[in-house]
Amino acid sequence: MKKSLLFMVVAIFILLLLTACGDNDNTGSGSIASEGSAPVTTAAPPEEIEDISIDVVDPYLTATITLGNWPPDTAPGAELALFEGFREIMRAQYPNVTVVPAFFSYTLANYLPMARGGTAPNLFQPPFTDPPLLISQGLVADVTDALAEFGILDKFSPSYIELLGDENGRIFGLPRDGYVLGMHINIDLFEEAGLIDEDGLPMVPRTLQEVAETGRIIREETGRAGLVFPASETFGGWLFTNIAWNFGATGENAIQSQDENGRWVANFTSEPMIEAMYYIRALRWEYDILNADATTTDWAGSHNILGTGQAAMNFAANDSVAEPTAGRGLPVESFALIPFPAGPGGAYALTGGTAFMFSPDTNHDQAMAVLGFLRIIGVLPFVDDDTVAAMRAGASAARDRGVPVLPPVPAWNDDEFIATQRAVADEFSNVDMRLFDDFFNSFTDGTITLRGEEPLFTQQMYRELTAAIQRIITRENADVLTALQQAQDRFQEFLDDEVNR
Amino acid sequence: MAKFKQHATSWFIMLPGIILFGFFLWVPLLQSVRMSFYRTRNIELVEFVGFDNFISIFNRHEFRQALVNTFSYTIWSILLGFLVPIFLALIIGETVRGKGFFRTVAYVPNVLPGLAAMILWRAFFSAESTGVINILLGHLGIGPMTFLTEANWVIPIIVLISTWRGAGATALIYMAGLAGINPELYEAATIDGAGIWKRIRYITAPAIFNLGSTLLILQIIAIFQIMYEPLVLTRGGPDNASISLMLLMWNYAFGGNMDFGRASAVAVITAVILLGFTVLYQIAQRRKVDWD
Repeated sequence: MKKSLLFMVVAIFILLLLTACGDNDNTGSGSIASEGSAPVTTAAPPEEIEDISIDVVDPYLTATITLGNWPPDTAPGAELALFEGFREIMRAQYPNVTVVPAFFSYTLANYLPMARGGTAPNLFQPPFTDPPLLISQGLVADVTDALAEFGILDKFSPSYIELLGDENGRIFGLPRDGYVLGMHINIDLFEEAGLIDEDGLPMVPRTLQEVAETGRIIREETGRAGLVFPASETFGGWLFTNIAWNFGATGENAIQSQDENGRWVANFTSEPMIEAMYYIRALRWEYDILNADATTTDWAGSHNILGTGQAAMNFAANDSVAEPTAGRGLPVESFALIPFPAGPGGAYALTGGTAFMFSPDTNHDQAMAVLGFLRIIGVLPFVDDDTVAAMRAGASAARDRGVPVLPPVPAWNDDEFIATQRAVADEFSNVDMRLFDDFFNSFTDGTITLRGEEPLFTQQMYRELTAAIQRIITRENADVLTALQQAQDRFQEFLDDEVNR
Repeated sequence: MAKFKQHATSWFIMLPGIILFGFFLWVPLLQSVRMSFYRTRNIELVEFVGFDNFISIFNRHEFRQALVNTFSYTIWSILLGFLVPIFLALIIGETVRGKGFFRTVAYVPNVLPGLAAMILWRAFFSAESTGVINILLGHLGIGPMTFLTEANWVIPIIVLISTWRGAGATALIYMAGLAGINPELYEAATIDGAGIWKRIRYITAPAIFNLGSTLLILQIIAIFQIMYEPLVLTRGGPDNASISLMLLMWNYAFGGNMDFGRASAVAVITAVILLGFTVLYQIAQRRKVDWD
């Protein structure tokens, strides 16, 4: 009897638990009808979306397209509603195209098996570090003809043609947006540490030395980390490269170079690299401003730490401002974005971006349909009423869910399109631009020099540099030169194996 | 023909199992061996290169480090993890009331999905002030400690977590073994004045020796293939201090270069080492039987 009773109680408890889990508030009036596996949302799409034309664009184009990076069920209602709104417009403009949402967020590890197995979404969004590898491995579709037919091929800047094309001039994707590395700021912690000037603005660092000093004040006054430094996997090396540039690891001290025989050489033991690593060491052992879990913190983790007020500064870019704010709950008014701090050897900032690419089995019609959808959402370089309405809808939804609405870092060679993007960002701005102007002005007025990534096997290079950083920040007596020499030898081994033999 | 007819039903029953076994196990295994001798373009074979992949990885520091670490995992696993299930089985076996409850509690960690369990432990061992263990230590007046960022401690901690997860299931097997011991032996030993340690030494230990040997070799095989634990907890860091052979294989394949040839070579080397362990075990077993 006792056992039966216990069994019943447990069963009811599990049932209640499952019921609670299943109740995600997806019912009720105002729902947007959907097909396929798309979530149903109760939020209404922004009213700006109604300005997009629903006239038929191509009644004959017939295709089914799977679109990655569709907002998942757990995304904010405003974002889900926006995408559902776009899908309705797609259905009207291309009546014979079926859009299948895919909650797929690209990583190399998860894309490869899907691409090989024929289940990758037609559209996905890799960072600019990956297209050369994906193209060389035959893991993406050639969309040159579709881009030409759509009339956007001539708006590619030459550097993007090089990045997204092969040696035969074929193109395999298009740019989504660009990024410039800078620094995210949690203003609340600056305020708590008394680092606010007479204008009410945070006294943010301009140089790497000031980062150390500001971080120390924040640590002393708040007990929180001054700087979150993601030093797991490859992230530490990625950020370190930019720091090293600003210590002078460019030109004759470049981190990678070719000698007179054409052999690729790693140069991790130059004076600027050593000084940069001593700087990292000082951040940990002298100023003690780093987060304690640096060696296990990744990119997402760093945003988490800044957004939840466990650290005041984070080396991060303009394309990830949604992470600490809407993603982690930091109010937009408590957030700032500043230029990458200068060093004794210069003021450089890494620039990169995100691409739209196509799974290898995507055919011409599917590519055309995907481009049609990208035009609807306002990311292709057209300046017409529909595109402006889509941009306004996107900005409105971003504002509604607490993302800082900022000017773009241009991805297209089209002044009119860029001006339109800026105008929309101005119209929907939800931030005090004094907290962002320095960042956006720095690379237009020349205060900062933009640099792309080092030329060869950057992920492997970052991995080796990250290991060196991990050694330096976990062992107080670790020798900087030895760590860098070891990393250099290891990466040189790799280069010799892969390109110099 | 008559013989075939006699066994046809048996073969027919086994056929689905054999097909599935071949498709999901033997074909990938043989493909992996084949791939290790080729230069690859993701999973396509491009060019036969003989032992080049093997020579190349033997020359790489990360392979040597991963090999050493994997043996370190194994040794720590034997030190920390081998006796725990035996003690658990003995304690639960001796429990008079609530035996079922304790058996369930011991087994529950095994039911948790592996990745979820590791994410949970990462939150526990976080070096930040928000780490669960650091919060508890804070209540005791002890400052935050770094755990997974310490090169010397990272492998024992990962092994400890693996032991927490796997010990319950192994304990159940030991309990089944212990249940097979004739209770009269214990009664006779007790009458002869044998205490608990003598009973364990002269009755329990010999009775579960063969079972223990088998489970030990299985434990070595399992820990030699450790991957997702360091992948989730440390990504192989700090400074490659926790990288294992299988994690290195993952890094080669998915870490940015799609080098499936070298990844397969690491897998083959790991398999050869494990084969060596198994052969040694078989030889030891045969000698023991001969000696008996």
